Amino acid sequence: MRSVIRTNEFTLAVIAALGFAALAVATDFNLLTAGTLDAFLRFLALPIVIGLAQMVVLAVGQMNLSVGVLTGFCAVASGWLMVDAGLPAPVAVLAALALGAVVGLVNGLLVIFTRINGFIVTLATMTILEGLRYGVNGTGTYQGYSPGLREFGQASVAGVPVVFLLAVVIAVAVALFFRRTVPGRHLLAFGGNPFAARLSGISNDRALVLAHTLSGLLAGFAAVIVVAAFGSVNASIGDDLLLPSFAAPIIGGVALAGGMISVTGTVLAAFLVRLVDVSQSQFDINRRWVDLIIGAVVLGAVLLGQFRDKLSGGPR
Amino acid sequence: MKTETAPEAPAVPPAAEPRPPARALPVWANPRLGLLIVIAVLVVLFSSLTPAFLDPRLTLAPLQADISVYVVVGLAQLAVLSLGHMNMAVGRMAALSTFAMGLAYDRLGVPLLVGLLVGLAVGAGIGALAGLLIAKTGVNSFVVTLALDFGLLGLVTILYTWATGGVSFAVQPSGLSALRFDTFADYCMGEVCGPRIPLVVPIAVAAALGVGLLFRHARLGREILMTGSNTVAAELSGIPTHRRVVAAHALSGLLAALAGFLLAANNGAFSANIGESFLLPSFLAPVLGGTLLAGGAVSVLGTALGATLTQVIYKGLNLLQFSLEELKLYIGLVLLAALSLDRLRAVLAERRAVSSS
Repeated sequence: MRSVIRTNEFTLAVIAALGFAALAVATDFNLLTAGTLDAFLRFLALPIVIGLAQMVVLAVGQMNLSVGVLTGFCAVASGWLMVDAGLPAPVAVLAALALGAVVGLVNGLLVIFTRINGFIVTLATMTILEGLRYGVNGTGTYQGYSPGLREFGQASVAGVPVVFLLAVVIAVAVALFFRRTVPGRHLLAFGGNPFAARLSGISNDRALVLAHTLSGLLAGFAAVIVVAAFGSVNASIGDDLLLPSFAAPIIGGVALAGGMISVTGTVLAAFLVRLVDVSQSQFDINRRWVDLIIGAVVLGAVLLGQFRDKLSGGPR
Repeated sequence: MKTETAPEAPAVPPAAEPRPPARALPVWANPRLGLLIVIAVLVVLFSSLTPAFLDPRLTLAPLQADISVYVVVGLAQLAVLSLGHMNMAVGRMAALSTFAMGLAYDRLGVPLLVGLLVGLAVGAGIGALAGLLIAKTGVNSFVVTLALDFGLLGLVTILYTWATGGVSFAVQPSGLSALRFDTFADYCMGEVCGPRIPLVVPIAVAAALGVGLLFRHARLGREILMTGSNTVAAELSGIPTHRRVVAAHALSGLLAALAGFLLAANNGAFSANIGESFLLPSFLAPVLGGTLLAGGAVSVLGTALGATLTQVIYKGLNLLQFSLEELKLYIGLVLLAALSLDRLRAVLAERRAVSSS
């Protein structure tokens, strides 16, 4: 029991629950009305998936700076397929997922073939994708595409938005991948100690490529959520996703050095960030205070983690 | 391939560069030489495609002013890359510092130089704060400065709203417009006038020289590099590594503040959006110039050349009517190509060195 209480996830869960309760009371339980709760969860789906996309590469000690812009690029590309090319929605959805995975694969291949730091490689591909994202449709907006897909984005099952359920399913799948499957364990082993992993017969190159491809695929899923839930897409999508993509895993206790992940922590952290966001709109606070608060929370979470490690005698 | 010298070479500060650790590579494997050739080829290409590229007043003077800003931005990142750290808040540190400058000019009416010093002090202070957090807690510099970036993003906008009710100061301290518009050609001694170089260029050159000398000859700079190369060994050799970490981050903040000032001078306004475009170029310039992310070695000359290359590409494609977003596509491709070539060159050079020994 004590070992559960001591985990980062438990602390986050308590903070998230207290924060949610406090916000519910402070808004005279407006938060718990069907409409508000629905919007709260619907726009929680994107931060969760984006945070997971970053977490997958953090697991092998890499970073993916292109994750936000890639989401935007996939979203705009699927908009183009539906509106300009006239293809049915399922094709556009599959294409967005494939596009994300392919760009992730390219990131991974560039990292292993050039031996350049992943930070720099994805910085370069981020810049290229920014150009491509704009190249699809300029400053124009795609809207009025596939009613079925937009209905999917607005649909709810028993008061819970379907896109949120999709994000939860993705999170569970990612957790199972890292916990139960051989490639998932290989990624973590490589992230923890590349040399030891290689000596145990794990291909370092394969682990790097797999992590980047998965990250791209998750960005593709994030794009599908955007296309479905937002109802319109343009070239600015993804600009404000880069910092949150790091905030969620870092607050959630994922180590930048690799080898250690926390899906629960990442999801809870995304929940916390969304909580700050909602209180901003509920109380009509200056949007900029949110950034200030999130910055303080990220730093606080990291410092708290260090402090806890010191108390329990060295890092876990 | 033409390799003749550029008709008018862009401002390249003749800064010192510490040699990377003993690895005898042939001359042609020097990444700085490659950058110089690429810049020369691009200048020839752009000026043959559009003669407006060589217009001294409309193109070359603004180009030199832009290069000056981004050389200093690159140096701000280089200051912490020397440790193997990153400064994700480089743009927002510049924004906070220029806010302090604007406030000093607006409320206290101080002269140009005093306001600059106030801003530099604020930049160095916020940088030192980041360094202190990193050194004391041992948390990754990426995380600390990313969180700081978030925090400052909010703080700067709130401060501007509080002080100006908008997003920029209306004040124009005397001398700012000279920095913005004048070149040395406007100052004559009798018949002899200066070259058509904007007044901000010497400031950037001085900064590059200062940083180059610091890392090459000063004890502080050498100790920072040793800390970046191997913290444990540096600690055991009696170097106060924590203080060196704080010093490097303070230097980064100081240079970010200087870059913010130069951009404010170029724009003619102290506004909240200063620094927004700093993050990517801050990494581009040093990395193109051959500075590693691992720490322990820096190249000031390479950073200056890297900044020059990116600004030449921006300016050239801009004149050829490319949109800003299309520019990004090409900048990214150039970065990837340059880095891959660099890697290829290093591998080839090492192979040759091995086979000839």
